[in-house]
Amino acid sequence: MSDQKISVAANPPAAAPKHRVDPLAIIVRFQSLIGLVLVAIGGIIFSPRRHGEILFLNPDNIANIVRAVSETGIIAIGMTFVIITAGIDLSVGAVLGLSAVVTATMMISGGFGLISTILAVLAMGVIFGVVQGTISTRFRLEPFIVTLAGLQAARGLALIVSGNQYINISYGDGPGLAPPVFAVLGERLFDNTVPVATIVFIIFAALATLVLNTTRFGRYVYAVGGNERAARISGVPVSMVKISVYAITGFASALAGIVHAGQFNFGSANDGMGYELTAIAAVVIGGTSLFGGAGSMVGTVAGTIMLGALANILQLNNITPATQLLATAAIIVLAAVLQSLVRRREGLGR
Amino acid sequence: MRTTLRGSRVLRAALLAGAGLCVAGTAQAADPMVKACAKDGQFVIGFSQANNAEPYRQHVNDELTAAAKEVPGFTLQIADGAGNVNTQTSQVDNFITQKVDILLISPFEAAPLTPAVKRAMDAGIPVIELDRKTVGDPGKDYTAFIGGDNFKIAEEAGKFTASKLLPDGGEAAVLEGLPSSTPAVERLNGFKEGVKANPKIQIVAEQAADWVPDKAQTAFSAMLQAHPDIKVLYASNDMMAAGALLAAKGAGKDVKIIGTDGLPGPAGGIEAVAKGDWAATFTYPTGAKEAIEMSKKILLDCATSVDANVTVDTTAITPENAKQLAGK
Repeated sequence: MSDQKISVAANPPAAAPKHRVDPLAIIVRFQSLIGLVLVAIGGIIFSPRRHGEILFLNPDNIANIVRAVSETGIIAIGMTFVIITAGIDLSVGAVLGLSAVVTATMMISGGFGLISTILAVLAMGVIFGVVQGTISTRFRLEPFIVTLAGLQAARGLALIVSGNQYINISYGDGPGLAPPVFAVLGERLFDNTVPVATIVFIIFAALATLVLNTTRFGRYVYAVGGNERAARISGVPVSMVKISVYAITGFASALAGIVHAGQFNFGSANDGMGYELTAIAAVVIGGTSLFGGAGSMVGTVAGTIMLGALANILQLNNITPATQLLATAAIIVLAAVLQSLVRRREGLGR
Repeated sequence: MRTTLRGSRVLRAALLAGAGLCVAGTAQAADPMVKACAKDGQFVIGFSQANNAEPYRQHVNDELTAAAKEVPGFTLQIADGAGNVNTQTSQVDNFITQKVDILLISPFEAAPLTPAVKRAMDAGIPVIELDRKTVGDPGKDYTAFIGGDNFKIAEEAGKFTASKLLPDGGEAAVLEGLPSSTPAVERLNGFKEGVKANPKIQIVAEQAADWVPDKAQTAFSAMLQAHPDIKVLYASNDMMAAGALLAAKGAGKDVKIIGTDGLPGPAGGIEAVAKGDWAATFTYPTGAKEAIEMSKKILLDCATSVDANVTVDTTAITPENAKQLAGK
């Protein structure tokens, strides 16, 4: 799955104190990978068996786990950028819904082609993010508030676009039908093994990892989250970086919305409800700090898959959803506590 | 009322007969739907529920659990889709991985769950759809549908309003469920269709209250402010009717309220009608008993075919019958 060999060299903020490498910090850096391994081991131990086969490791089951987390995973990747800058984006689930609705509407009643639809929806997501980022930096507003408003706005727009109706996507050639190739998002490639939605997720994750770990922009993202004043003084275009990360979450949400529409042949204004919280949970479990300045993309991917694997093994054992919620709650708290311990040891207070 | 898709049966018989001719002499007239069926077998039934958070759906779970308990060889597993098509799809896939013997499903939305249902059918698992359908035809794309008809139930409520509650006309209002969700759209359209029977009735306000009582109370309070002469309110589910009642009481208005679902229990719609708080509620039958019956036919009795379309009719709960039904 996620390539563990990628070194997650979070550039420490310039002001970080020099000290020995803290073993706890190593654990936190890889906490979600460790968590994923633990959940996987637990999954194997507690998996129901049929004719000696461990169901949890059944290829179809693995495919199901990674398919189910694709949409929230794509969103969590965008969210990682935002949270590293110490921001937050609550509009992502609603933008997913809006994007799914616009995708369906453009192809079904608008008569647009596949490529123009996808490009338009992605552009819409980016614009949505740019607007939110600009309002937030320009008027010095908390991103929490701005994106909370963005959430409402996106749901409202989705209802307007869809005329309060859900839009089914039917495939075929001709007016009112979507090109059949779009349905590939709901299928599996490579001899019916790897879900296409997962492939989109993994490619996006790889690109995002590259951007975050190897580009100047990636360094800027860490710098803005680590110490905004220091970053400003050392010539980082802070506003530009901030607007860009919201553009990235807008793009990610739109991409997830397109994947959603293609996977489920459907667009509804209610799609993606609550996804923002699932994504934030995955990011936090992945070791990214809500205080900004530290975090990793690989951690986010592992956190996302871990939550999916946990849900899967609980259902295979017919354990109630309540347990799943409580387990997730415990994991989030544990992840946050670990982080806070590391911060304290580094003398960063809080 | 039970309708059978005769066409598909004839087709199947023809296909089976054709297959029989191909495999000359070896094929039986009709194979059981599930090969592993047996009178005393142990079977797992997976139920993929759309959203346990809705009281009506919890009521379905309760009825299914009770009905499955009656059958010694049945184990019922319920997965909660939590109102999310992605979660529900993955749960259906989990049931396929587990190779459950029958899949029961109430899809949260039709089109999104269609591919998952197809995967179950392709894996040889009979699929019985409860309350909501996926895309396609029962008997072909899935084994059977059991449930009520949202549009018709709401239409009944509309006709009841037109003939019994407002025979001389007047103002009516509607509280819709979650906008753009299938049942909300069907119930809204059905009620409007039914009310057309009396041209003197005007629907002066429609508001969405997302199925929940607190939003219903707020929305209906505002409606009564704007339209003090509203005489009848149609609520698309019992929960919203309960919220609307609070709003009407708060405004000191005597509004005739109609619910939908007819949930049992002290907080349910049947009780509210029996107490005289509402004018009526129209039950939305769960089909749970019928679903377990059908599962028994397939798994225990080795049925070769079942009714593909079982519509469970609504019952109008009015002051006349509410008291006796509430006692049940």
